[in-house]
Amino acid sequence: MEELSFVGKSIPRKDGFEKATGRAIYTVDISLPGMLWGKILRSPYPHAKILNIDTSRAEKLPGVKAIITGKDTLGIKHGFVETPRYPPDQYPLAMDRVRYIGEEIAAVAAIDEYVAEEALTLIKVDYEELPAVFDPEEAMKPDAPEIHPTHPKVKEPYKNIGGKTETFWGDVEKGFAESYLVREDRFEGQLRTHCYMEPQATVASFDYSGKLNVWTSSQGPFIKRAKLATTLGLPFNNVHVHKTYVGGAYGGKVDLFSHEFCASLLSIKTGKPVKIVCTRQEIFEAYRHGQPIIVELKTGVKKDGTLHAQKVKVINNAGAYRGSGVVVIFLCWGFIMLPYRIPNLKYEGYSVYTNNPVRAPQRGHGAPNLRFAVESQMDMIAEELGIDPIEIRLKNARQKGENLPNGDYVRNCGLIECIEKVAQQTLFKEKYGKARLKEGQRFRRGIGIGVSSYFSGSLIYPNSSAAMVKLNDDGTVTLLTGALDIGQGAETILSQIVAEELGVSIEDIRVVAADTETTPVDIGSWISGGAYVSGNAVKMAASDARRQLFEIAAEELEANPEDLVAKNREIYVKDSPGRSISFSQAVSASITKKRGNPIIGKGHYRTMKDVPMHPSLATTKGRWSDNYAFDAQVAEVEVDMKTGQIKLLKATTAHDCGFPINPLLVEGQIDGQVSMAQGHALWEEVLMENGKTLTTSFLDYKIPCAKDMVETYYIDVITEKYEKDKPYRTKEVGEGYVSGMVAAIANAVYDATGVRIKKLPIYPEKILMGLKDKKR
Amino acid sequence: MKKRLIELKINGEYYEIAVEPQRTLLEVLREDLGFTGTKEACGTGECGACTVLIDGKPFLSCLTLAIESQGKEITTIEGLSKGNDLHPLQKAFIQYGAIQCGFCTSGMILNAKSILEENPKPSREEILKGLEGNLCRCTGYNKILEAILAVSEGEK
Repeated sequence: MEELSFVGKSIPRKDGFEKATGRAIYTVDISLPGMLWGKILRSPYPHAKILNIDTSRAEKLPGVKAIITGKDTLGIKHGFVETPRYPPDQYPLAMDRVRYIGEEIAAVAAIDEYVAEEALTLIKVDYEELPAVFDPEEAMKPDAPEIHPTHPKVKEPYKNIGGKTETFWGDVEKGFAESYLVREDRFEGQLRTHCYMEPQATVASFDYSGKLNVWTSSQGPFIKRAKLATTLGLPFNNVHVHKTYVGGAYGGKVDLFSHEFCASLLSIKTGKPVKIVCTRQEIFEAYRHGQPIIVELKTGVKKDGTLHAQKVKVINNAGAYRGSGVVVIFLCWGFIMLPYRIPNLKYEGYSVYTNNPVRAPQRGHGAPNLRFAVESQMDMIAEELGIDPIEIRLKNARQKGENLPNGDYVRNCGLIECIEKVAQQTLFKEKYGKARLKEGQRFRRGIGIGVSSYFSGSLIYPNSSAAMVKLNDDGTVTLLTGALDIGQGAETILSQIVAEELGVSIEDIRVVAADTETTPVDIGSWISGGAYVSGNAVKMAASDARRQLFEIAAEELEANPEDLVAKNREIYVKDSPGRSISFSQAVSASITKKRGNPIIGKGHYRTMKDVPMHPSLATTKGRWSDNYAFDAQVAEVEVDMKTGQIKLLKATTAHDCGFPINPLLVEGQIDGQVSMAQGHALWEEVLMENGKTLTTSFLDYKIPCAKDMVETYYIDVITEKYEKDKPYRTKEVGEGYVSGMVAAIANAVYDATGVRIKKLPIYPEKILMGLKDKKR
Repeated sequence: MKKRLIELKINGEYYEIAVEPQRTLLEVLREDLGFTGTKEACGTGECGACTVLIDGKPFLSCLTLAIESQGKEITTIEGLSKGNDLHPLQKAFIQYGAIQCGFCTSGMILNAKSILEENPKPSREEILKGLEGNLCRCTGYNKILEAILAVSEGEK
């Protein structure tokens, strides 16, 4: 096997210097000459008609430069999903009705934040309150207030259905009849939120050439460009979204937000740069959080623990507009069918409108709450059958080469190895079930496992990426990629790939990234395809540049291109190191002898190559992805039986990661996800009452802090390899590892206490109540 | 409110500036003096992103008035490195993968510096306790701890 010099190495992140010295400029740090500050007026009611908006007093306030309401917009809607079945459904500023507390009604641009804030208080809005509904099952009832009409394709007599996903294979009823044991359970995953440290922020500057410049804290500039251009009625090439450093996102900064639209329109109106930075309270109260789901799960198994039939109903509380709700109910199907073989399956998912803020993806996009349900029930079944949690999972785990019902197949899968290795390393079988024997002991330890799978880049339009690798006269390299580094290290791994393909050092590469005007398109850092899709595009571009370099070098050295190797910006003839030419000489030769060709490599990539169909969100039919990652995670906890307090002591993740491009960055991704899983399982919950958010600060909404740090361990299961000149399939590591760990924690808590929690998070009082119930 | 003329000593340099008395040190650092390395993530003293050192001790600049910072030595992240010559903690944060999105990094490094100055060889628990007020959502704190331990054991 050829020796790799850069790929597979723990190279420190490329932007480390700038971030460690405070020189990295985030959107919140940007200030432009003559800049105005914007603020947004939000609805105080969960559901109301807007009768009148009077901005006249606010306009007279000295320092106010512009005020916009729905009337000043083109009235073009946007949405996370924009398909014929699910057209956009949200105005950037409300027109005549508001559907959640916090919905955007007007925006002000003023000379500073204080004036802008004061102006908001002078805007008079007359509302007529409408009846509201907040619970998804209440909202489905025929007599519930209507937020939006039920989707025309949904035939059930339910109200407020934004979308439905329905699919099946095999015969689920026959499957249950043939099963030895059938269990029915209901689980609930809570509403949690991202807690990106950098607030939502945008600076927009409309210039006199008619171009809108935008800096925004996001997960990819190209989606922002598309949605801003569409809602503002501008051509795409007149909207320039610039790269900035991004202070965390985790799914919460993907599609268009009103502050981005408002900053842009206010800049167009005033001819001045406009900046909007949201307060933390605003983010907690009005911005998009993750997706809470209800999972009704009926599972039939054979006596030996083989899964035979599964019927799943998922109800998603989507909030007041469609958001990514219809995506979650599609994905939940995937997270059901990926990790285990189930011959008979029926799935239905409903995304239900309620008068709550709109919802977004959050790391795992439905998987953590869904896998919590499935993996909890898996342990319940195993216990009833007298099988241990490892054996039942090994028996049902997906294997390489299996076909999935939608036509995808599992090209490579290390799940069995993941389960085996994680069980071995944690001494799972030796530890499991021991705590429950220790009656009367105050502190009890428990161990639990969770299994999960995630796609690596999905076939939705336009999930593609393109890149260019340019050689400079001195032999240094410039990479142009649309990919955006949001902290995961995109620019670092892409540089490693260029270095590997070209034979240059990381320091020889300058990355120009995520700029809609100069870099080729990239879908963005939000669908787990960065390393795979963007990585392959960059790999193609770099190897194209190398091909051109070798072509001219071969002529200069009178050798065959296939006999050449490149290292340290030099091209050698294999086995005769004396015959060489520098990159700089090769570029110069190419320019003089190849009609000015300065050597620019181009590459592009898309998951599933040229399959025309992307999966239907409604029926699940159509190819989805050709690259699935798998994992098995083990949690070890200690529970104080007197107080119900739970400590996550150790977290071990075994993952089929393909191969790690940068092990240090992979570990960082896993650490972060374990930490997020800890918060999700044990503490985090956005509490709401009648559409109003009660948890509006980091004091109310507890995320893990340093003293909660968990010992983490990693096991890489390598199932793919990197070869020069060939596309590779490495797998995602950015969001699949919250899910297994949430489930593992819940199972470990059960192992310690005998209390099965079916509604997250696992508050101490739930443990105490469970212990009380057990005594009865 | 009426502005007052104050003098702040930041990273060894003196800055004379007129500020309204209600303005925080964070606002003045970021908006008036261009020290944008100090970050604001909550503005209400819950996250630690705005941590600066005042006379060597960590303070939340979002809860500190600019006028009360007069006559004191203020250190921001910009004051930790000299040109391209980084402080050992900055080097370790880069090398050990303790930085992801980087938004908490300035506050984290400054707090770590004060922890080590108080106790050059802290235990893991002492470091984690000391960092309790600095939230990070990316790293789970594991690599941050490793980086600080590496420096505390004398690695440069």
